Amino acid sequence: MHDWRSVALGSLSVATGLIVWYLIGALNLVSTDLLAGPADVWAALVDILHNGYRDTTLAQNILATLGRCLAGFAAAAVLGVPLGLWMGLSRMADAAINFIIQFLRPLPPLSYLVLLILWFGAGDLSKIALLFMGAFPTITTATMAGVRQVSAQRIQAARSLGATPRQVLFFVVFPASLSTIFIGLRIALAGAFSSVVAAELMAASDGLGWMVFSASRFLRTDIILLGIILLGLFGMGLSRTLVVIDKRLIHWRGRE
Amino acid sequence: MTRPWIATALTASALAAGWLWLTLSGAVSDLFLPPPRELWDALLDLLQNGYKSRPLWEHIADSLIRVFAGFGLGAAVGTLLGLLMGYLPIVDALAAPFVEFLRPLPQLAYLVLLIIWLGIGETSKITLLFLAALPVSAVAARDGVRNVSQARVRVAQSLGASEWQIFRHVVFPSALAEIFTGARLAVGIVYGTLIASEIIAGTTGIGWMILDAGRFLRSDYVFVGILIIGFMGIALDRLLLAAEARWVHWAGRQ
Repeated sequence: MHDWRSVALGSLSVATGLIVWYLIGALNLVSTDLLAGPADVWAALVDILHNGYRDTTLAQNILATLGRCLAGFAAAAVLGVPLGLWMGLSRMADAAINFIIQFLRPLPPLSYLVLLILWFGAGDLSKIALLFMGAFPTITTATMAGVRQVSAQRIQAARSLGATPRQVLFFVVFPASLSTIFIGLRIALAGAFSSVVAAELMAASDGLGWMVFSASRFLRTDIILLGIILLGLFGMGLSRTLVVIDKRLIHWRGRE
Repeated sequence: MTRPWIATALTASALAAGWLWLTLSGAVSDLFLPPPRELWDALLDLLQNGYKSRPLWEHIADSLIRVFAGFGLGAAVGTLLGLLMGYLPIVDALAAPFVEFLRPLPQLAYLVLLIIWLGIGETSKITLLFLAALPVSAVAARDGVRNVSQARVRVAQSLGASEWQIFRHVVFPSALAEIFTGARLAVGIVYGTLIASEIIAGTTGIGWMILDAGRFLRSDYVFVGILIIGFMGIALDRLLLAAEARWVHWAGRQ
């Protein structure tokens, strides 16, 4: 099927969804208390842009959520990638550290959020620590797996051409494991974006997640829906951004 | 060269020693990090008396039922949708915007809406888990169908297979490996969302137990709960791996 046809069909399907959503409210099929219509959500957006929501501006809430998400994710990447490289290259490092990471990896982040709040308080530190702990094992494991699958021939070829261990690491091992590292980064970022909203539910005074939960207490479904739509769009944006970087950076993917 | 297990033993004992020293010397209050002894007592206490007048196994069973119901429904519907999306480009074009929107959406964002619509009972919990599992399964099944080798489909066609036979005997088995990968991802996501679903005014479930114990600053119960939930997660993943090895025994050997 041609590309423009699938775009057209996709737009048609989104438009149908919007019309159905509008009709549900217009024909009073469901009370507007339970489901605000598209016009209400638009009005809520305009209102929040002008007046803010409970002493916070929309930009402030968006920046708070994205900032926490990216801070936790970046800390995990900065620490996880070098550690994964080290664990991939050294059996001893693997044996010393991997069991801790493999224990953390399957734990649902919300299970230890309670502890983090107890340790670090209800501020930003406990939220960033939560996102870090969720993303870190994924990134480290993916990096280690990437290093392990680098072909030994390439390393030997570089060595026999006189490369130092440092050169082998930076010019052979790291580029060759980059495509696996990126898969790990994408999974970790998606997880961090999910967890940041959870963290904002437990304790926060700003952020898109906080806005949604705060609105739910007053049954403001227009603001809830606005928050959901914004979160969905930002989630799609974050994952698209990494896909684009991935394609630019690892242009050889699938052509090896 | 020294043996790797020595390194494992060294870090493990360093961690244990650090834990003992921090807790027994009084450097860290029991409130933040309970000593091993207290943790053991908490586990025995939970096994004997349960938590909040319900035995421990009942909390575990309630959580598992929610996971299986939400994951089972979500994976079944998602896989069906994904197979259709992979097979019929028109279904893909129509459904893709919704699936792509739902997939990166934090599950907790629509939790409040589900509570308003469906109340605080089991229905909203299972619907939340259903919605968490659906998009992942759909995308995995769609990609699985798309990656089926065209040569195989042509061979079956030239041997006179009907459309249904091709789907049943060529496309579906070939896509099954990716469907299982998607199922494992979905179980992970559902499992992570389970605790969120139990935030909703519940009185049962292992996730609820952790949150409730946290509210009363009983960090010993919190630790035991985290350990239980960790081991349950590993067991679930192993279960799916075993199912995959049994039903898709040809995976990775094509």
